[in-house]
Amino acid sequence: MEKVEVPRELKEEAKAHDMYLYPIEKDTYELFFGPQHMATENFSIILKMDGSRVEKAIVNPGFLHRGFEKLAEQRPYFTNIALLLRICVPESDVPENIYSMAVDELVGWEVPERAQWIRTVVLEMARLSAWMFWIFGFGNELGLYTAGQWAVAYRERFMRLFEELTGGRVYHIYTIPGGVRRDIPGDKWLRQLRDTVEYIKAKMKDFDEILFDNYIVFERTEGVGVMDKKFALDHAVTGPNLRAVGIDYDVRKDDPYLFYPEVEFEVPILKEGDSLARALVRRYEIEQDLYILEQLLERGPPSGPYKVQDARLKALPRFKVPKGDAYAHVESTKGDFGAYVVSDGSHKPYRVHIRGPSQSHGVTVLENLLVGARLADVPVILKTLDNCPPDIDR
Amino acid sequence: MERKRCKEVVGMALEEKIIEEIIQKAPYVEGNVRRAKRIDLKVPADRIKEFLELIKKEGFNMLIQISIVDWIKEKEFEAIYQMWSVDKKVHAFVRTRIPRDDAKLPSMRDIFPVAETYEREAHEFFGIIFEGNPRLGPFILEPREYEKHPFRKDFNMLGYVKAVYGEDFDRYDENKTNYVI
Repeated sequence: MEKVEVPRELKEEAKAHDMYLYPIEKDTYELFFGPQHMATENFSIILKMDGSRVEKAIVNPGFLHRGFEKLAEQRPYFTNIALLLRICVPESDVPENIYSMAVDELVGWEVPERAQWIRTVVLEMARLSAWMFWIFGFGNELGLYTAGQWAVAYRERFMRLFEELTGGRVYHIYTIPGGVRRDIPGDKWLRQLRDTVEYIKAKMKDFDEILFDNYIVFERTEGVGVMDKKFALDHAVTGPNLRAVGIDYDVRKDDPYLFYPEVEFEVPILKEGDSLARALVRRYEIEQDLYILEQLLERGPPSGPYKVQDARLKALPRFKVPKGDAYAHVESTKGDFGAYVVSDGSHKPYRVHIRGPSQSHGVTVLENLLVGARLADVPVILKTLDNCPPDIDR
Repeated sequence: MERKRCKEVVGMALEEKIIEEIIQKAPYVEGNVRRAKRIDLKVPADRIKEFLELIKKEGFNMLIQISIVDWIKEKEFEAIYQMWSVDKKVHAFVRTRIPRDDAKLPSMRDIFPVAETYEREAHEFFGIIFEGNPRLGPFILEPREYEKHPFRKDFNMLGYVKAVYGEDFDRYDENKTNYVI
């Protein structure tokens, strides 16, 4: 084992106090971080530690691999919705939507305006409930449990609204190619949604006091896990993590889809690129999402059908999609989520490939950011990257 | 309020100009505009690395994904490098085809460091060898599943499940062929 000499200043300081410091032995060891650890959520990192500093990190995913892409090749187009949404647990509407949008493009369907409005509302609701879940995780990693428990309670309001709209709480199986599965329940539901938006808007200042404007949070996150612009682009960092570096890229603005061209919102951008910047970008985005939902509700749902009027929709199991391929992507809370669907003209997709943001955030980016970090900062970096293991494994 | 259609927000002129510029610098490429914000570029497999270096300088600075499609009838793998340009806001599919029985591609790790992960995944599921990537090996799958390449079209899913789980997998009947798993 290598011996490490005690620095001279320390030696002198010890001498002043009548003490003697012995040379210590440098001791590196391997630490298995996860998959049981709460911060890693179903994947593990093998850390090579030097004391409490990380020397090297190797990501070890695969605990959630269920072969969804292979299974999707064995099933008819519409059945795949119930399968692919499991790729992103906190916001399951994102995989539903990207897959449906890609199939819409393949078939050539122009989705009715009412369906587009409903899909946009559902996506924004999913974003807000995912933000609440993120606050829960982030607060817990910093030891501020109160904020997390509030956030989960507020998320419950969205769960109830989702249950009334779709029948499911977590997995909704709601967006289908050509529209949505059923219409909105009525004006009462819209009123409830408006109330929830108002409620959460009023509660955000509580989160500011306890979490985002808190000295403990600044101390723990400032200067931890810093990225620069070149690193972010080379490692395909997307979403809030990219905007925390100072690059303006939001799929909703830059490759607009559904109803987003009609609503106004800002894309919050910070320059620092550290964990604090990443957390604050997310805080500002919650505000923008509430604003988007307000605008959508003010406009009200357009009249018309909620799915395309097509005779082929009556024979779903043998529904054939023309040859070709399509790529659709949306802005999720974690980043740029995309689906690439290839059709060979039969009733099953030839290939479905899902691009999750954590494929870059959770592997190469994480391995680089962890080097030199303290062990206590590992969960902070993980949470501010908002890593979601199911989309690495799929 | 007038409904702005997504496809009309940006005209197709930008995409056509991008393709023209690329073909001028790399005459070996075939390109066409798919729709607004989507362009297709076909590149021969032996010049793919050189081309990605060029396209990075042209502004396509983000490698979003490497998608592999197994065209078993044509005995070819298609590799699609999905590129996004943050400045031009255009998505490019860079397509290349390689023979199935000698599936080799150069690694893009030194141009786009994130390619390392995508290549590890493609190697594990399809058995494509990316020359120059030192981390090819078991990644997502279990070590015993490595080198089975389950996403290839000729992988026998039911056979594998029966071989591994044996008697526990009692629903499997060899005489039936119309399984929907």
